Amino acid sequence: MNKNLLEVENLTMKFGGLTAIDDLSFSAKDNEITSIIGPNGAGKTTVFNCLTGFYKPTTGEMILHKKNETIALKKFTDYKIAYKAKVARTFQNIRLFSAMSVLENLLVAQHNELMIASGYSIFGILNLKRYKDKEKEAVEKSKYWLDIIGLTNRADDNAGDLPYGDQRKLEIIRAMCTNPKLLCLDEPAAGLNPKESSELNKLLKFIKTEKQTGILLIEHDMSVVMGISDHVVVLNYGKKIFEGTAKDTRNNKEVIEAYLGVEE
Amino acid sequence: MKNSSEIKTIIKDSLFTGLISLALFGPIVGLKTSSKGQGLFVTPHVGIVVLLVTACIIGRFLIGLNSLRKKEISLIANITSSISNYMDNKGKHVAITGFLFAIIFPFLPFTDRYVLDVSIMILTYIMLGWGLNIVVGLAGLLDLGYVAFYAVGAYSYALIATTFGWSFWICLPLAGLFAGFFGILLGFPVLRLRGDYLAIVTLGFGEIIRIILINWYELTNGPDGITDIPRPSFFGLPFKKFPEEGESSFHTFFNLEYSTMHRIIFLYYLILVLALMTNYFTLRIRKLPVGRAWEALREDEIACKSLGVNPTNTKLTAFAIGATFGGFAGAFFATRSAFVSPESFTFIESAIIVAIVVLGGMGSQTGVVLAAIFLIGITEIFRDLEQYRMIAFGGAMVLIMIFKPKGILSNRKPTITLKNYLK
Repeated sequence: MNKNLLEVENLTMKFGGLTAIDDLSFSAKDNEITSIIGPNGAGKTTVFNCLTGFYKPTTGEMILHKKNETIALKKFTDYKIAYKAKVARTFQNIRLFSAMSVLENLLVAQHNELMIASGYSIFGILNLKRYKDKEKEAVEKSKYWLDIIGLTNRADDNAGDLPYGDQRKLEIIRAMCTNPKLLCLDEPAAGLNPKESSELNKLLKFIKTEKQTGILLIEHDMSVVMGISDHVVVLNYGKKIFEGTAKDTRNNKEVIEAYLGVEE
Repeated sequence: MKNSSEIKTIIKDSLFTGLISLALFGPIVGLKTSSKGQGLFVTPHVGIVVLLVTACIIGRFLIGLNSLRKKEISLIANITSSISNYMDNKGKHVAITGFLFAIIFPFLPFTDRYVLDVSIMILTYIMLGWGLNIVVGLAGLLDLGYVAFYAVGAYSYALIATTFGWSFWICLPLAGLFAGFFGILLGFPVLRLRGDYLAIVTLGFGEIIRIILINWYELTNGPDGITDIPRPSFFGLPFKKFPEEGESSFHTFFNLEYSTMHRIIFLYYLILVLALMTNYFTLRIRKLPVGRAWEALREDEIACKSLGVNPTNTKLTAFAIGATFGGFAGAFFATRSAFVSPESFTFIESAIIVAIVVLGGMGSQTGVVLAAIFLIGITEIFRDLEQYRMIAFGGAMVLIMIFKPKGILSNRKPTITLKNYLK
């Protein structure tokens, strides 16, 4: 039995009079894919924004268990979530640096390590070996991930010139280049064709098993959710209405009524 | 016929342009007040308004016709695209040729004092453009108050050099340091701002510095400016015709006949070295993590945060480094003219520098050079027209905007390529 990686306890997020998330508690485990599903406006992305420091939750706790330490994500804001707490995310509408090359995108993700190696640019300006070695390492790591998604031959093209499906995958491996403990994916299968979404499934399974990374997934594409989720959390109007395995979710009456829909 | 409907739209367009130009030129050019005896009288200038409006209509019509022809062959588009292609492939050769030309330039037969003075001015603008390129081109922060750092550099140099009498090479880094400090000072309040809002606040900052310089009479000598700023010396050898007792001057030391050109040539090389230093620094730092973070920040700040890039530090370094180079250029300006006053640091200077960066192609180092030569050079050529030479400046800008809306050289090259790495 895996231990819990993330524990969300009594999370509430209010925007003025609107309660976007209402007393939500759930947990996600190491080496597992946890999906958050629910109708539009259920508060899924808001949960992500709280987890990744873009919003400060009104009340509640979000605890991340790392190997030797336990951290409250609430204490981290902004860029520190990715840098210190090691939580990475992708976005519902792809946010690549589209005028920069694919490789550059992946190097920006390794910014902090490279920055330290470059002695905050002082060693880098002098072109010292210490920085060069680190840069080589970073390029090799980028190539490793590009090999996995099969985009190595397009490494020097602008990220914005890639086909849509490749951009989705690139955004995921860019997030992986930050060495996250928890990877939050916001609708990674949106707009993908069946072939592309099955490739995505493979990639996510690979990350889960080989990289020992917990994945939190928001998704509407049921073929993805049911195919790879170990654990499903269903939200409706900011409240959790169900939590369990993919199979149980499919058969739950309340979930079907609220979200999956009844077959005529 | 398909063409006739298109020509109709072009004519409509031209007439509309005529209407706008009439609205502009009518009151501005058409009505002139003159005082005869007692009171003001308005004298209408109908002829010149008609002339200008017709020129606008015809100009718009020709541009429209040209865009119509574009579908078949567009000469200008072809030329410009082949130039940028050439620069992509042979960019290095062009840069080296330009560099060698810049080195022998003072000794070419047609180079007289005037040409050299203009070149020094162009080089100053190139250096300012390269400095601002870090902030605007790479980090994408539209700074309309860059002249403030130029002013801080110039005044720091002037005050330190006149008060303590230190040499140029000690005062120069200090001037850069002060300007960099002011860059961070400006950086803090504008961290959260983007786009138009950032532009307005930086514009205000530029004006604040100028107004402080005018009003802080005790320190800056107000609108009278600071005079008698020490001229630079050639490693301790002054450029004086009659050196003081026991002191050798440049021409006596090298056994040359005294000529004022020596100092001008020295200034030329000084600014050339400073500008190339800026260029080298920018090219290097662009390939470092911080440079890539600047460009990433320009592309998408939210994505940057999600990858753990600290936007605060990244922006502040951009402001500080850009400002430092502005400060260096300011110190050079002070030592060259031996006189600084707030009048030299008006908003128009900021606008010219921004224009050079934007029209050169954001982030392109060579583009800055071309735009500076084009804009400042054209304005100089038409110097005889006195105040009307600004029309040439505006015309040059309009030409670039029509034919190269993204800047003269707008192709961005990746800072690192896997292809070269695997070799």
